[in-house]
Amino acid sequence: MSVATPALPVPRRWWTARRRGYLLAFLFIAPALVNFLVFRYLPILAALRSSLWQYSLLGGYGEFIGLAAYRRMLEDPIFWTSLRVTALYVLLKVPAQVALSLLFAVLLQRETRFAAVVRSAVFAPVVASIVVVSVIWALMYHVQLGLLNSILTSLGLPRIAFLSNPRLALVAIVVMMVWKELGFSMIILMAGLKGIPEMFYEAARIDGASPWQQFRAITLPLLRRVLMFVLVTQTIFSFQVFVPVYTMTRGGPLDATKVIVYYIYQNGFLFQDMGYAAAISMVTLAILLVVSGVQMRLLRSEVEY
Amino acid sequence: MWVRVWGGLTVLIVAVVAGALVASTVLPVRASPRQAEAPAAAGGAVAQAARPRVVLKFLTITDDAQINAWKAILQEFRTIEGGKWAHVDLAFESVPFQDLFPKIESAVAAGAQMDLVQSDGPDMKHYAFYRSLVPLGRYFTPEELKQWLPQSVEEGSFRGVLYGPPMMQSCSLMMYNRQMTDAAGIKPPTTLGRSWTMRQALTAWQKTTRRPAGSSVPTVWGLRWGQGTWVGDYEHGIFRRSNGAKGSKTFQGMGPDGVTFVGYFDTPEAIEAMQFYQDLHRRYRVTPIEPIPQIFETRKAAFMVTPDNRIGELNRLYGEGKFPWGVTGIPYFKTQLCHTGSWHYGISPNTRHLEEAVAFVKFASSDAGARIWYKHVRQLPANVNLLNSLPEYRPGGRQHMWFEAMQRIGVPRIQTPGYTEYQQVFAEVALNIIAGADVAQQMKAGARRIEGLLAKYRGWNR
Repeated sequence: MSVATPALPVPRRWWTARRRGYLLAFLFIAPALVNFLVFRYLPILAALRSSLWQYSLLGGYGEFIGLAAYRRMLEDPIFWTSLRVTALYVLLKVPAQVALSLLFAVLLQRETRFAAVVRSAVFAPVVASIVVVSVIWALMYHVQLGLLNSILTSLGLPRIAFLSNPRLALVAIVVMMVWKELGFSMIILMAGLKGIPEMFYEAARIDGASPWQQFRAITLPLLRRVLMFVLVTQTIFSFQVFVPVYTMTRGGPLDATKVIVYYIYQNGFLFQDMGYAAAISMVTLAILLVVSGVQMRLLRSEVEY
Repeated sequence: MWVRVWGGLTVLIVAVVAGALVASTVLPVRASPRQAEAPAAAGGAVAQAARPRVVLKFLTITDDAQINAWKAILQEFRTIEGGKWAHVDLAFESVPFQDLFPKIESAVAAGAQMDLVQSDGPDMKHYAFYRSLVPLGRYFTPEELKQWLPQSVEEGSFRGVLYGPPMMQSCSLMMYNRQMTDAAGIKPPTTLGRSWTMRQALTAWQKTTRRPAGSSVPTVWGLRWGQGTWVGDYEHGIFRRSNGAKGSKTFQGMGPDGVTFVGYFDTPEAIEAMQFYQDLHRRYRVTPIEPIPQIFETRKAAFMVTPDNRIGELNRLYGEGKFPWGVTGIPYFKTQLCHTGSWHYGISPNTRHLEEAVAFVKFASSDAGARIWYKHVRQLPANVNLLNSLPEYRPGGRQHMWFEAMQRIGVPRIQTPGYTEYQQVFAEVALNIIAGADVAQQMKAGARRIEGLLAKYRGWNR
């Protein structure tokens, strides 16, 4: 006869492998999280707070004004002008840059010496200082002293006031910025191209697909996620354009290049109105979130490989 | 295992950082060879050994002549009082003129360790209003205040307290390239009383503008109105004020409360003057729409409206007296005027070296410091003793007209704590006018905008 001994309850271990894994994951992301909290989210909260008060850098916080700065924005024609100029800048620059970088990425993806040299040449402006680049391009654009106008006159063409003509100034900045940032998006797209398995192209070639058909049916669909990344980041970067405007035109002529970030700078640092500048920043943030969200939604890819 | 590795790395990093902090606190700092040599060269080795080196951070505009002047003043400063200040050095942070104001503002607001700032005269009240400068009244006796021209003391003061002594005074006249005026057969007036009106001057500017055959762009322009490449109030603000009779609202440029601009900035006379300003650029095309750096110095302009600091620059570039310059009165509409006032020294409230900063500022603005400054910059001194001792400012001297003009036609720029905001909007309006905008609309919108921005200062002078 045997007597059944009751099983002793096994103490549940709190420090499980799963929890250790969570902690480890948290420790790994902790530095980035702290960075985001301290340098991204806290300033956003601070800006939100500043937008509700009368606030200037030198004068500090004045009286609480609630949403008055936001109401003022609605009636501020320069705010709307700057928003329009920024939108125009984004619409001119982003499609041009994405299209050109895609073209360069496709053309230069082959591992030849020539392609490597051209890749380096296209990427070089990315690492150059934006201030230096802006100053040099401003000189190149100068109506009397500039290189571009020297070329035009040597060809018997009239001089063009690139930066002092309200119709051309923004386009001139867009051209410079596309040249400056083309290499960055090109490199990202090239990485995306390298991730597309070669077998798709081989199969397409066997089926007699032309290069253009391969590009349309294979490259574009499979590059959609990378394209979305480039499009979203370039839209965000373009919305934040400041240095070339500050260096080359100061928002002029006739507000033709007064982008939103320059207007924020002007209010915050030149007009002693940091509260209003913070309010415009918050609206800009909201616009960017909406635009990025719409872009991500539109470009969501169903294709996986 | 990863947790242990991570924990170990954390402990290691903390230990290294803590060790470095302890080491840097306990161990003496070794001076670099340059640091050790510089004061000795100045002859203050004993004092240097007794006091730790102090580097005064100095925020200035980008100007080689001025930086050279401060370096020379520093060398002298180190030797005074038996080498008491031999441990002091200067570190310059220089920015273009139009960037100076936001730079000072953000440096003060951020608590950046800045000791000295170079401040434009009309901005002194703005900085004083916001307590962005240390009041210096207690460091200067009434006798010491008399060493400068009274206009300069007033400009560097706020509510009767001195916030910064002057570096120099100023008044803009019209310099010209004698070779170019001779070639065009022009004899500019040599006395202030016979100065040209704007219309008379226009003829001279048109005659000296040189366009190669078949080109619409001149190789030599008749005029550059103002220093640098910006369109600040100092020179460009003269246009509209000059088109008003003395005492008129146009001449005053701003209401007596310091915040009203509608009815002062945008009067019909002011608009008429700025229309002429636009015409100079676009209709008569005697001055470039896109500014050209050093246009007068590089012989691309025949006339230039400027203070006499241009002489220092010309001497630096061509050698003393080598450039064939002449000077005539500033052109005018109804009332001839030049804006007075110039740069002042200021001490940041964030300074940790107040004693050294005050001593340097006192020396730099004294007779001895002002003399060194003048040698390099060559602009009308604010220091009375120096001014009286310079033969070029005596009657018959080559720079006498600047001194005479400052006294006879000199008026301060508008006095308001909102000068910085005003000037930014004015410059934007001026640039828009140059770009071809409707002048009346720009002036009226500008006046309203300035008033809106300056509303926060209402009651400042009560």
